[in-house]
Amino acid sequence: MTGKNFYLLENKTSKNKSGSNKNKIILNTRVRLARNLTDYKFTSICSNQEKNILLKKIKRYVEEIKELRDFRFYSVKSMGKIQKDLLFKDYLITPGMANKMQGKGLFVKYGQDRVESSAIMINQEDHLRIQSVRPGLNISEAYEEVIEIEKYFEKKLSFAFDRNLGYLTASPINLGTALRVSVIAHLPVLAVSTRIADFVKKLNQVGCLINGYFMGNSEVIGNLFKISNLVTLGKGEEDIVEEMKAICLNIIDDEEDARKKLKESDLLGIKDNIYRSFGLLKYAKILSYEESLELLSIIRLGLDLDIISGVNDFDYFELINKISDSHIILDLEISSSVTDDELDSIRADLIRKKILKGSE
Amino acid sequence: MNCDFCYNNEATIHLIKIQGASVERINICKECAKDFSFFSEEDFYNDLARILYKFFNISTNDYHTGRDKKILRSISYGRNRKCPFCGIDLKTIKKIGRVGCSSCYSEFKDVLFPIIKSIQGSLENKGKIPVNTSRKIKLEKNIRDLRHRLKNEVIIENFEEAARTRDKIKKLEKNRYDR
Repeated sequence: MTGKNFYLLENKTSKNKSGSNKNKIILNTRVRLARNLTDYKFTSICSNQEKNILLKKIKRYVEEIKELRDFRFYSVKSMGKIQKDLLFKDYLITPGMANKMQGKGLFVKYGQDRVESSAIMINQEDHLRIQSVRPGLNISEAYEEVIEIEKYFEKKLSFAFDRNLGYLTASPINLGTALRVSVIAHLPVLAVSTRIADFVKKLNQVGCLINGYFMGNSEVIGNLFKISNLVTLGKGEEDIVEEMKAICLNIIDDEEDARKKLKESDLLGIKDNIYRSFGLLKYAKILSYEESLELLSIIRLGLDLDIISGVNDFDYFELINKISDSHIILDLEISSSVTDDELDSIRADLIRKKILKGSE
Repeated sequence: MNCDFCYNNEATIHLIKIQGASVERINICKECAKDFSFFSEEDFYNDLARILYKFFNISTNDYHTGRDKKILRSISYGRNRKCPFCGIDLKTIKKIGRVGCSSCYSEFKDVLFPIIKSIQGSLENKGKIPVNTSRKIKLEKNIRDLRHRLKNEVIIENFEEAARTRDKIKKLEKNRYDR
């Protein structure tokens, strides 16, 4: 793969002119490490009793480490549906975890506004997963944090390791460094352009996986894409971090190029599109989550391109995380027996309050 | 048209790879295609793009050597073998897409390594190693890293640095044999 890699990794960093805009295209960064302990079965076939023993053991270790005392423990078993949904959205549990909750737990430290978080997840797919989530493009910072947390465990626990395969994980997809870097990219113009097929191919060639972040019926909603490294073995941790950084800068360049071209070729069309979305957001009384994402994506684009007025600057990723059903129910302390229409109407008001100038 | 791999089932996936003047056709059935991936059935279609990409990589390198067929055969024959440490069998591993314990990797090496190679493209860990690993493994890793560096230095014709790296490797290797 090395030959192909250079294709995307040519020194674009200096050429990149998107310093201020980069966090408006790459919205979110997540880095996670997977580790398993020697002498224990992996969680896929552990009995509940074995999981509980392991959970207790790791929990005790975490609580003994004074550098980690800001982390709060949650037992997944005792959580309600809404809370689990929130954790799922914050990447803290996997969907499969909703059914089998025995013996699973997590330590979380939230930063401001829940956009930043660090977590130690116990007994999910692997015994231990350490994760750091940061807003914008912040791969190095997130990586350094997970490595820092790992060090505390490394001193006391013995990790399953093989000199050829690296850190041993339940799924061979994660072997080696067991390091996965994912970013969420907002690509409203690339997503609808004819270049998207080439773009996806290019990412696959450099060993990246690209998926829709929210999926409807096989359609990507809100122009959000999750991009992550596919290969974890045969590369060093730093190589993966540096490669992903370079790839992100290229993604930003590609999207910005596409935006520039679109603005040049069809300014009226794009303006029309943006103001139609604006009209809908301004007057609609009922907005489903999916529709909101689509509309907000276009408004965000209008702000980025400087062709809309009357709208407050807003953080797209932060906002869509505040207007999901679960967030609305929890934040506004509404009874969960609320009907879908009621929720959609609250959502429409909430968005208006947030983004229309003069209505805060 | 029958599948190129099992010759039995109707091929439902047809791939054509055009590289320069050479045209290569691959016809594969759903069952065999699945054996190229390490995903449970439900994940399979979600990850089709990735699997096809991997598949093409395999096919261009090894299609004619028959290695793939050997992999497929070993998977189908060995389904009931069990890992002595955790008791999981190959059939279950393939079904859930996960191994049962760290020993599974050495126990089912013959089956898993080719699959890992096809997923990861490599069987050589270049990442960090745990602090409490034995000195021997650390030394080996050091030497491996230096060899890698040496190769790169030769490519960019930085011979002065390359000579220094070579001497370092020699010294470390001497250390290894002395022990």
